[in-house]
Amino acid sequence: MSSEKPTMIEFKDVHKYYGDYHALRGITATIRAGEFFSLLGPSGCGKTTLLRTIAGFEGISSGVVLIDGKDMQNVPANVRPTNMVFQSYAIFPHMSVAENVGFGLRKDPRSKAEKAKAVEEALAMVGLKGYGGRAAHALSGGQRQRVALARALILKPKVLLLDEPLSALDKKMREHMQVELIRLQRQVGITFILVTHDQEEALVMSDRIAVMFEGEIAQLADPETLYRRPASRKVADFIGTMNFLPARVLSQSGDKVEVEAEGFGRLTLDAEQMTGAKTDAGPTIGFRPETLTILFDGQTASDRESPATVTEVVYYGDMTYYDIKLDGSDQPLRLSMRNVFGRPVLDIGTKTRVAWSPGALVLFR
Amino acid sequence: MKNPGLRVYAIGYLIFLYAPIILLPVFALNDSKVVSFPLTGFTFRWFQEMWADDSLREALTNSLIVAICASVIATALGLLAARASTRFTFPAKGGILGLIMLPLVLPEMIVAMSLLMVLLAVGVPLGKHTIIMGHVLICTPFAVAILSSAFQSLDKSLEEAAYDLGEGPISAFRLIILPLVTPGIVSSLLICFTISLDEFIIANFLGGNTKVLSAYIYGQFRFPAKVPAMLALGTILVLLSITLLSIAEYFRRRGIAKTGGKDTGGFL
Repeated sequence: MSSEKPTMIEFKDVHKYYGDYHALRGITATIRAGEFFSLLGPSGCGKTTLLRTIAGFEGISSGVVLIDGKDMQNVPANVRPTNMVFQSYAIFPHMSVAENVGFGLRKDPRSKAEKAKAVEEALAMVGLKGYGGRAAHALSGGQRQRVALARALILKPKVLLLDEPLSALDKKMREHMQVELIRLQRQVGITFILVTHDQEEALVMSDRIAVMFEGEIAQLADPETLYRRPASRKVADFIGTMNFLPARVLSQSGDKVEVEAEGFGRLTLDAEQMTGAKTDAGPTIGFRPETLTILFDGQTASDRESPATVTEVVYYGDMTYYDIKLDGSDQPLRLSMRNVFGRPVLDIGTKTRVAWSPGALVLFR
Repeated sequence: MKNPGLRVYAIGYLIFLYAPIILLPVFALNDSKVVSFPLTGFTFRWFQEMWADDSLREALTNSLIVAICASVIATALGLLAARASTRFTFPAKGGILGLIMLPLVLPEMIVAMSLLMVLLAVGVPLGKHTIIMGHVLICTPFAVAILSSAFQSLDKSLEEAAYDLGEGPISAFRLIILPLVTPGIVSSLLICFTISLDEFIIANFLGGNTKVLSAYIYGQFRFPAKVPAMLALGTILVLLSITLLSIAEYFRRRGIAKTGGKDTGGFL
């Protein structure tokens, strides 16, 4: 569906040096028109630098950045078709809310009344109808963010850049704003590019995510692919929780791979389950906690099952996290179960059976 | 303060600092040519006499011209230096800023003597303009210190946001930065004005035949009959200084509150 969308931003082998420090190491990627795109990675991975090269606040050392087909070399920030919501929101403290939102319209030839109407509409869009007369420095964190959004969106940019916009909000407010941002993006249809270090936030909000480590894009994919088929152990580790077990590749023929893994025994996997580049760590199989299920009395596995022992229990209300050890393995594995009324939470030391499916595994070469 | 000794020390300290200043208005309002107790009566005579003195008015005019010029120039220079030091990195930044701040700790005597030597060697006639030069030199560090704190409390993204919303560097500075550092500018102008008005050594060395207020007052103390009028003038200057410094501090604090920053010291 999203593959039909035209290209909005293109990076071609973009490098950025700060003195000797190599901040961006050959970024090549395409961001499509109208998509909610996230740059995800730990701090210092270059995601904010990459965002700022789109805005025009950072020059690049080599390579090309195209916005809507136009080379952005020598195009200053104030004429680029992008607008930004800053991490600190950068609300002008000496102005009213309406003056902040209308700031970008200064050179707009429309009449004063028309501009005032545009400001009122922009404020209504972010849920701040009637706040125009308030002093900017008297707003709460969430309100500041809405003002920053309205101020950027009123200019109808081709691309809206969001630099960790939710990191300053408390958890409840953050979750609420995530949903609002998605709604807003659908409403205006503008390309949103979000920088975040919060993998959950990226998964919830994005159409596609670029995971970055040390100035490089490690994987660029939609959230489901990223979660189910991470391109490397590093990506798998960063996105959610993944269990790893050392494995041995016995044979590979056509599109089938024969593997032996501790506790799981011999398995036949599809070649497309194999991922990543060869590493010194050797082959490893990985799987998410929710792909293992504890079998209670009378239940049978639809695919495969293995005996196991519970070694740790963490109760979360709606979920329980168990650490288990498969018989014949010393490696503790994390397993998550949705709690169902009437079903007991198991104690540490309980002998049990777990159901699993070879299709849910990933094999890192 | 549980130790009574410390309390006595603190009170004694305050008396030592401020009692002489309190004596100023007391004798300025006393109806006697002799500055001594007991007080003889209440009068505004000395204030009238002071105001009727032509050479005093000339010295006052000189002082005001010097103080206004010095504070404006020092604040303008301070603005540039503070902006450069908070926004950009450049080679030898620490050294350059150190040299700008140096007159703050350099004995004024040294500054005055070396400037006088250079001016005489070059052949510049002495007058108000040379006093202004000297005062700019000693006021600039104060301007830099005050304005740096104003610039430091500014979020760098404010300026970027203005660019992002279509403004160029000059209009971004005018619309966003200038209004936010205005309290700092006002505060710097007032403090530099006060410093220049009070200053004696440089004004005396570099003034030639031009007398500013401080030099004039010093000269008048040779004539016992003039002393009460000078005390009246001193009283006015004390009130003026307190007022200006209070206004300066008010603007500095308001500036910090406006940008949502945290107060990290100041002069008062």
